[in-house]
Amino acid sequence: MADLQKEFNDYTKNLNKASKDENIKKAITRAVKSYRETTAETLDRFPHTPEMAEEVRGIKSNSIAHNSELLKQAMDSVERNKGKAFYAKDKQEALEMTAKIIGTGKTIVKGKSMLGEELSLREYLEEKGNEVWETDLGEFILQLNHEKPMHILSPSIHVPREKVAELFTKFFNKEVPPDIAQEVAVVRDFLREKYFTADVGISGANVVAADTGAMVIIENEGNVRLSTGAPPVHIVLVGIEKIVPTFQEAMKVTEVTWRYAQYGVPGYVNIISGPSKTGDIEKVTTYGAHGPKEFYVIFVDNGRSDMAKEEKFSEALHCLRCGGCMYECPVFQVTAGHFGHVYMSGIGAVWTAFVAGGLEKAAPLVFTCLRCGRCVERCPMKINVPSMIQKLRERVVCG
Amino acid sequence: MMAAETKLPPVLEIIRGNIVKHGNPLAMKGSEVAAWANALKLPEHGDLLFYTGGEYQLLPFIDSLVSTMTHMDQGSKVFSLMMGARNIINKTGINAEKIYASVLAKDRERFNSISYKAAIILQKLGYDLCYAGKKELYSGALLSELGFCEDMESYALKVAEVLKQSRAKTIVCLSPHAAEVFKFVYPKLVKDFPFEIRTFVDLVWEKRHRLPAIKTDKTVVVHDSCRLARELEITEELRDILQSVGVPVREAMSNRQWTTCCGGPNKLLFPDVSHTVATRRVEELEETGADLILTSCPYCLSALQGGQGKDTKTVIEDLIEFLFRGFEA
Repeated sequence: MADLQKEFNDYTKNLNKASKDENIKKAITRAVKSYRETTAETLDRFPHTPEMAEEVRGIKSNSIAHNSELLKQAMDSVERNKGKAFYAKDKQEALEMTAKIIGTGKTIVKGKSMLGEELSLREYLEEKGNEVWETDLGEFILQLNHEKPMHILSPSIHVPREKVAELFTKFFNKEVPPDIAQEVAVVRDFLREKYFTADVGISGANVVAADTGAMVIIENEGNVRLSTGAPPVHIVLVGIEKIVPTFQEAMKVTEVTWRYAQYGVPGYVNIISGPSKTGDIEKVTTYGAHGPKEFYVIFVDNGRSDMAKEEKFSEALHCLRCGGCMYECPVFQVTAGHFGHVYMSGIGAVWTAFVAGGLEKAAPLVFTCLRCGRCVERCPMKINVPSMIQKLRERVVCG
Repeated sequence: MMAAETKLPPVLEIIRGNIVKHGNPLAMKGSEVAAWANALKLPEHGDLLFYTGGEYQLLPFIDSLVSTMTHMDQGSKVFSLMMGARNIINKTGINAEKIYASVLAKDRERFNSISYKAAIILQKLGYDLCYAGKKELYSGALLSELGFCEDMESYALKVAEVLKQSRAKTIVCLSPHAAEVFKFVYPKLVKDFPFEIRTFVDLVWEKRHRLPAIKTDKTVVVHDSCRLARELEITEELRDILQSVGVPVREAMSNRQWTTCCGGPNKLLFPDVSHTVATRRVEELEETGADLILTSCPYCLSALQGGQGKDTKTVIEDLIEFLFRGFEA
């Protein structure tokens, strides 16, 4: 018999502390303002977006309904491209598969991935005797600070530059001033060497096209290009809900995702479908040119297909992880990721219940949600989080 | 997905038990909840049923319950005392009488009078109201919102019975929470639920041209209730009404369907967070420079008031209170 008491106690203590934290208040207030401004501006500049979002809702809904066929097709496509495709039914399987490919004593450069957080991937690979570097600047800061992300897209949203300077000065063992450009520069220098000596690069993917086996990864920093391009091995871990039928549809999902994710126009959109190759000598295709020689994709289920089967919840799988809802959430605005367990805010409560801890971990989140519904106004997929929260409360209360 | 143990925070158990056993979240007597209507002598039967659900009347008592619970549990607020509600009630003796006694008479009067004022406004606009009086039951919106589905199923039948006794075709709800649950939840739970569900705002809007003008030198900002704006899609109506009484309205940065929640919904379980959310919303509303914040939901009214700073000069009122002034003049 599980007891919610401790869960609620620890959680509430944290949440109350966060709601009085001036750093969080300042940082999120600034972030919310900037999010709303950028999004309004880019929606104005690209006025076709809401209509495209509606089209994407259809694409996602159709894709979730046909997920098992699409999964098979995507795996076949990856194999046809000379990659290796795997299906991991749960967290343990995903971790073991990854560790089996990597082995031990390796250096790994990793891109930002919420699935990575869901699996505690870095920690697991470290336990197996590997050196793992988070290459997204925000994630890198959290790695040094032994913290969990506070927002899915801006993980270190709550850490001000002064704190970063302090952290870097200690880690790099040299004076790093609280100047953002200089802080960025030291990490660039440090990670540059890691990209080119790493044995393995790991990334997630924002969208997968089943017909071509293309992994689409949106980014700004250029860290994903390097992590997935420089090392000899590239492993993609991606949730099965990210698969859509065609490349053209994947592009639509990508555009809608970045527009609501405050990218404006993203610096980079990576499309990776297999290991690097060349046919330049006698038209003989040879794998392992400048990029990775080996390419692995692990499609992770871990509760997603259960979610897909539930009429009341399958819509949550349409989530593009743009993070827009979090900026609009009145509770998230004062607590950041403390209103969460791996996944954050209202939609995070739903994801927590199915893929990241179960109803027990989700219960405190489920009762924190105001069910105010502003997340739905923002959500390009119009996911009805308040109604799912109410259904989850029923499960907590009535079993 | 694992089923979680249903050991709920005691405050939820208290509220649930009270609704189911006593027909309102705080176990108050029907005659107390209906006392506001004594002088009006509203008929029990009619086409248009005036429904308060006791929500405005009970507000000050809910706040008192929250502060009692918060005060009781010095450690980590509500949750460290998760030993089951019955235990807590036995050990600490929380009961309606105690809570009742701790509420200031002026708050009691103010919130009681809101239902009265609403009825007068509607009557003056030409609506013939009937009212269930002491038989009126709380809608059960909290049971539904908090997930007490089994309790809600049987409770809804009881409520529907009382509603039917009125022989009304239309129910006018003061609280958007009641309107929402009647409109969207009841038809799924009660086989025969033949009512048209309206809100106070709705009915006033239809006859807004009959409203007397309100002379005020105060500037007004509207706080849209989430339920009213997003579930019931009532936003422009509030502006139209204020325009008809000759009062200019300022808009907060987040308004209409983008309104910011008052923090009320998680007040029972996370009073600290709820308070912070309320304070920030009040700040957003005050940024407009308005002197008067108007809302149209009992929980918003109570939460926003709780979120106000001590030295603030801004006044927060329900639309009902504000409109009533036109009839007093």
